[in-house]
Amino acid sequence: MAGSTDEAAALARQLLRRRANDNGYAPWLDRRRCRAVIERQGLPAPRSEEWRHTNLAPWYAAARAAGDGEIHTRVQAPAGVRTLDFADPQAAALARRHGACLFDVTEHPLAAVNSLLLGAGVVVHAPAAAQPTEPVRIERLGAPFQHVLVVVEPGASLVVVEEAAQFTHRIVECVIGANAELTHLRRQGASTGCECGLVAARVAAGGRYTLAQTSLGARLRRNDVLVELDGAEAQARVFGAWRLDGQTHLDNQVLVRHAKGGGNSRQTYRGVAADRSRAVLCGGIHIAPGADGTDAALSAKNLLASRTAQVFAKPALRIHASDVQCAHGATVGALDPDAIHYLRSRGVGEEAARALLVRGFLTEAVRDPAGARAVGLLP
Amino acid sequence: MSDGGNATPALLRVDDLHVQVDGKAILRGLSFAVRAGEVHAVMGPNGSGKSTFANVLAGKADYEVKAGAVAFDGESLLELAPEERARRGVFLAFQYPVEIPGVSNMEFLKAAVDAQALAAGHSEPAAVDFIKAARQAAADLGLSADFLRRGVNEGFSGGEKKRNEILQMLLLRPRLAILDETDSGLDIDALKVVAQGINAFRAADNAVVLVTHYQRLLHHVVPDQVHVLSGGAIVRSGDASLALALEEKGYGWLDG
Repeated sequence: MAGSTDEAAALARQLLRRRANDNGYAPWLDRRRCRAVIERQGLPAPRSEEWRHTNLAPWYAAARAAGDGEIHTRVQAPAGVRTLDFADPQAAALARRHGACLFDVTEHPLAAVNSLLLGAGVVVHAPAAAQPTEPVRIERLGAPFQHVLVVVEPGASLVVVEEAAQFTHRIVECVIGANAELTHLRRQGASTGCECGLVAARVAAGGRYTLAQTSLGARLRRNDVLVELDGAEAQARVFGAWRLDGQTHLDNQVLVRHAKGGGNSRQTYRGVAADRSRAVLCGGIHIAPGADGTDAALSAKNLLASRTAQVFAKPALRIHASDVQCAHGATVGALDPDAIHYLRSRGVGEEAARALLVRGFLTEAVRDPAGARAVGLLP
Repeated sequence: MSDGGNATPALLRVDDLHVQVDGKAILRGLSFAVRAGEVHAVMGPNGSGKSTFANVLAGKADYEVKAGAVAFDGESLLELAPEERARRGVFLAFQYPVEIPGVSNMEFLKAAVDAQALAAGHSEPAAVDFIKAARQAAADLGLSADFLRRGVNEGFSGGEKKRNEILQMLLLRPRLAILDETDSGLDIDALKVVAQGINAFRAADNAVVLVTHYQRLLHHVVPDQVHVLSGGAIVRSGDASLALALEEKGYGWLDG
């Protein structure tokens, strides 16, 4: 972990040397606050609890070296769904109206770095009651620091496919109105880079948010996910399926917060770690005082496919209401030798048997089969 | 055991087989032969070595063969990996079929049939033909349409698991089927369905070994020979009437 502290300080110095608004892009972002947070608390050191298993040093180095970006942003949206670049004044108006940002910058200092260095931002807006049959495809975002704001107005239903690759930090905020529905398919292919991201979703009464994350490994990949069920009967479904090999690293930190009662959340994770890879999962459920009638569950299963791979899995529950149901389970294990033998006894070779079992294992957390094939998680 | 002067060579021949599990001798000089076209029943009390015998033929790990030989169609079986045995036509219906969540029964069956077809130098059967055959076989065994879409044995009742083993046998068409207590845990209707499946499978070019504790399956599938396994060796062999005598008198009768 040596070096991370130095790198953090160097990046912080570099950011603070800039004036608050010298990034002329999307001047409406509250960069003063971001600056103040970095000034006051610095950037995460390697020993901080949230970053225990992920050494940020290479990410800090990547952030310091990141350029402004050269490629163009490309987002495909069906008729009836608006997409606006952050440079568009209407984007600012939408962002203000919907009260983004949905996260606390003091708890997500990398998001502060993002805002200070932001080069590509886009708003996706589904008006009230819109029901497009085609998804929005975020194919390319044109800079290392990226921000997507998805607004699904009441009664609308939208699918967003997040497939753009290669970034240093990406924020995706999702505002889901009353009785609206957002299905968010997040595809993360194999990468040699260092990629950190934050998904922050807020779901109003009767709304539903489904996040399906499909990940292969990167040199460093960190996904912070924050889902707030902010209205009665709001629902969240979070799926994470990953397969790591080589020396790749994936750190998923998910928190579903039940702020209001009657909500329902399910988190389902299935991960495979092979070779010398390292998988980290913290799956959190917070139930706020008064959020009675909440029904929350989390299931995390990890498969260790080699002796040298590492898995850290931790459920984190904070329950402040009494009339709730909350179930959780986390396991780390190997493939069942009896299942391998069963397949072999039917003529399936050992390698093919293992592959079939791994596929079956992952399938339980795959809600985006096309994405799983696209990134190479499943054949 | 001799072939009794019959000119047909044994499909499976087991000679003086000694097997240990966790250092404990389970099979102690088991000899046994079955020819194509025959159905043999291997009976015996609990702990006599029936399941060890079945599992060792299928190549399960942790079974240590200390002495003896097993030949299948003239080729030694013991050196072969489990999948190689299966590809040569050896099939074990498991006493406790394994649950595999996330892999559909159809996918599992197709993987098995494809692997065996490829190993035999054939091309994989067309998906549409295979699905049709699988659905028909499932229906014949009284299994509902969604049965093939469910995870392998996942949440199946005991009877469904056993019927699923018979389904696999019917689709894979092995030359030797060893059924390890396939009758246990079946109600009378399921027992009849399973027996019908076995009888439909019986042919001049294959053999069936029924490993069972009870005689009741043998009312429906009449064996050519019955063997009694006790203390890790076959202590008595006879025709179907031996099973009836066992039912009447119990295994203790043999000790007398």
